[in-house]
Amino acid sequence: MKTLAQTIVAILFLCAPVIGIAEGVEMRRVALTLSEDGRILLDADIKFNLNDTVSEALENGVPLTFETHVQLRRASAWVWESDVVEHRLRTVLRYRPLSGMYELRNLVGDERLSFATRDAALRTLGNIVAMPIIERKQLDLDEDYLVRIDVGLDIEALPLPMRPMAYIKRDWSITSEPWEWRLRP
Amino acid sequence: MNKRRFDVAAAAMLVVLLLASLHMISAAVQRSEELGQWFIPLLLFTLVGLVILFGLVGWNLWQLLRDYRLRVAGSRLSARLTVLFVVLALVPVSVVYFYSMRFLSSGIDSWFDLQVDSAMEDALTLSKLSLDLHKRERLKLSENLLSSIEDTSQTAMALSVNDMRASSGALEITLFSVQGKVLALSHANPDILLPTAPDSGMVQQVVAGDNYVGVASGPDGRLLVRCLVLDKARRGIVLQALYPVPEALSDISSSLQDAYEAYRTRAYMRSQIKFSFALSLSMVLLLGLFAAAWAAVFTARRLVQPISDIAEGTRAVAEGNYDKQLPLPKVEDELGFLVNSFNAMTRRIAHARNALEEGRHKLQAQHNYLETVLGGLSTGVMALDGDGRIQTANRAAEQILGVSVADLAGQGLQELGRHRESLQPFVDRVMESFEKGVHEGRAEITLYRGAGRQVLLCRHSPLETDPGTATGHVLVFDDVTELLKAQRDAAWGEVARRLAHEIKNPLTPIQLSAERLRRKYLGKLPPEDGVVLDRATHTIVQQVEAMKTMVNDFSDYAKPSKLQVKPLQVDEFLGEVVALYEGGTQHVVTDLNASGLTIEADPVRLRQVMHNLLKNAVEAGGERGHIVVSSRVGAEGGNDFVEIAVSDNGPGFDPDLIDQVFEPYVTSKTKGTGLGLAIVKRIVAEHGGWVHAENPHEGGGRVVLHLPGLALGTDQQLPLLAGIDGEGEDA
Repeated sequence: MKTLAQTIVAILFLCAPVIGIAEGVEMRRVALTLSEDGRILLDADIKFNLNDTVSEALENGVPLTFETHVQLRRASAWVWESDVVEHRLRTVLRYRPLSGMYELRNLVGDERLSFATRDAALRTLGNIVAMPIIERKQLDLDEDYLVRIDVGLDIEALPLPMRPMAYIKRDWSITSEPWEWRLRP
Repeated sequence: MNKRRFDVAAAAMLVVLLLASLHMISAAVQRSEELGQWFIPLLLFTLVGLVILFGLVGWNLWQLLRDYRLRVAGSRLSARLTVLFVVLALVPVSVVYFYSMRFLSSGIDSWFDLQVDSAMEDALTLSKLSLDLHKRERLKLSENLLSSIEDTSQTAMALSVNDMRASSGALEITLFSVQGKVLALSHANPDILLPTAPDSGMVQQVVAGDNYVGVASGPDGRLLVRCLVLDKARRGIVLQALYPVPEALSDISSSLQDAYEAYRTRAYMRSQIKFSFALSLSMVLLLGLFAAAWAAVFTARRLVQPISDIAEGTRAVAEGNYDKQLPLPKVEDELGFLVNSFNAMTRRIAHARNALEEGRHKLQAQHNYLETVLGGLSTGVMALDGDGRIQTANRAAEQILGVSVADLAGQGLQELGRHRESLQPFVDRVMESFEKGVHEGRAEITLYRGAGRQVLLCRHSPLETDPGTATGHVLVFDDVTELLKAQRDAAWGEVARRLAHEIKNPLTPIQLSAERLRRKYLGKLPPEDGVVLDRATHTIVQQVEAMKTMVNDFSDYAKPSKLQVKPLQVDEFLGEVVALYEGGTQHVVTDLNASGLTIEADPVRLRQVMHNLLKNAVEAGGERGHIVVSSRVGAEGGNDFVEIAVSDNGPGFDPDLIDQVFEPYVTSKTKGTGLGLAIVKRIVAEHGGWVHAENPHEGGGRVVLHLPGLALGTDQQLPLLAGIDGEGEDA
């Protein structure tokens, strides 16, 4: 009967919009720098705080996929206009019970890093160093651009049975406030 | 009809889409790697579809409820069938759902029993122990390798790490300073120039004096043993060595780790798995229920539609609409047969109704025709049923008997007699004839009524609605009072004329002879005889004069009149007449209220009327007579008339004779011919008026005559009509 009650609650609340509350992710520092070879690079220090629900899931082997979404678009762009450039940096954090290590796997390059502690793994996860965004020459020098960065946990990457409840429960809403910066190249 | 088809198609399409969506959700659950991203959109689509379907069902049920409350034909049966269908669908589906949920819950729980938990934990522990052994060996080896370094110059270390990596079978050997500076690196892949950096926690542990050994996954997924050891000779060097775990052990351990992880994850997600299954199952249940409810309403309506039509049709027929034709159901079943029969029935009823209506119209026309004919008759016609109750009576009957048709209808003749005593002789005679069984009869019946004597000539005959079967009587009667009176008057006129003629002829010779006798023999006879002769001849002459007067009266009465009418001012004329009677012993006064009214009259004949009336009044009043002559104007039926009344204070009319005083030779006086009032009546009748005599309450007698008026003067105002009794009071 408890399951039935949960079902009814889920039906009632699944249609409710998921509110992007900035909880669990804090952008401590974000910086765009121009490299010597004319590339715009992103440096960021992002702090992830996992609540008990998410930590418990991680400890029980549930892989957590974090996505850093970087968009660069013209400041005066229409809504339907596509971005000048868009990057999605997807990284999976999981706990390996055999080694007792936390593992970060970059889904783009399939690079694996192991960490003895969760904090060490999260620190590495939040440390973005010199991530190339675009070459300066690709931009119109007379145009203003907007850089938008948001970071969060990808619920759609969770195991399927967990998704409905993850959409409903606020514990699973681990997203940052979008960071926006006007850029004049 | 098209709208209904569209609704059905839309609902069916929605159900199909929802079924497809549920099927895809099931597929997404089973193949989450490929279709997992569709899970939530499909879930949302299904929920929205279910809400729409619910709305559709709710709308249909609300319509059904509204029809039920408004008592629309067929709504009750529809509601009953719908409830029945829904209950029939709900019960098995609910049972299946309940047990499915139970089986599902217990099935999922059975995946995770204690034995499996324990076995998984044991397997992991075993694998850990096996790896620990390997790790310890590698740690020992790493410590030995670091101790073997004697020359700490960078070049020497660079050379020695290559040898160490080659001899130890390590994948990578790196030498760091405690500050983290790479002193030397050797990797199995010479292209890799950067070491696999340890995390800060490991470094801190090592710097603190506690060597680190751990297992990590290599880039290819193979397990590696990472060792971090600090130089015991306190040279500030840290060695990191990465050893590949033997392939067999790595594969087994990796496989075990994956299985364990999967198991742990599933165990952790137990409630979510149950929830997901329950959600899917609930959506299937809701889809089934809503679709069943919708189908129930739809089916009930379709089934009941012909019955509703028939109910509607019977109601229409009950209200008199026999032209109602019902639409035939498409399916040829019993209901179709019923609708067909109903249509045939209404067609026949409509046909019969039309024929009946036509007959009724004809009958009505005949009835109207008869009524018009009967209404136009001056003869009273009355139809009685077998029990003597009045069925119909025409206007003439109403006028003759003086009762309204409405009062007559349905009354027995006996009742008529009881209510109108004056009609009792009429009733008695008619009933007597009926009781005697007289088939056809004829009788003259005299009634004594307020207006005087009334003579009815009455005939009755049996009423035969079917040939040979008498169901009542037809009573036909005429008021012959006036006719008889006219006949009597004519007879009297003829008698008077002949009598006058026969009597008048010898009177003049008698008179002349008597005067001649007197003249010739009066002087010759002795005085005694002379006196006798004188008295005798005088008497003869006087009586002959009297007889002449009488004969002249007879002659006047019998003579056909030739009126010489001219406009006459009534009051002026009355004043002239009354003036002749002033100065006598009697007191004659006038009360004239018709000044300005003109009548068409022969002044000579009208003066004769007034003289006759005044003479009678003077004689009745005697020496102290008080006579009032009055006039007033009245209106009746839109026509003006003048009412002239002559009242006296005498003994009044004999009540026994009052109805006949205007007939010749009816008089209570010792003198007179008895023709005075008869002449009055005749002259008034010749002027288009009527006359009657009465005895007022205050005493005396009064004669009232009505003459039709011609015109009023401009200054004349019509006085209010007053009763006759109110007029003629002494002035």
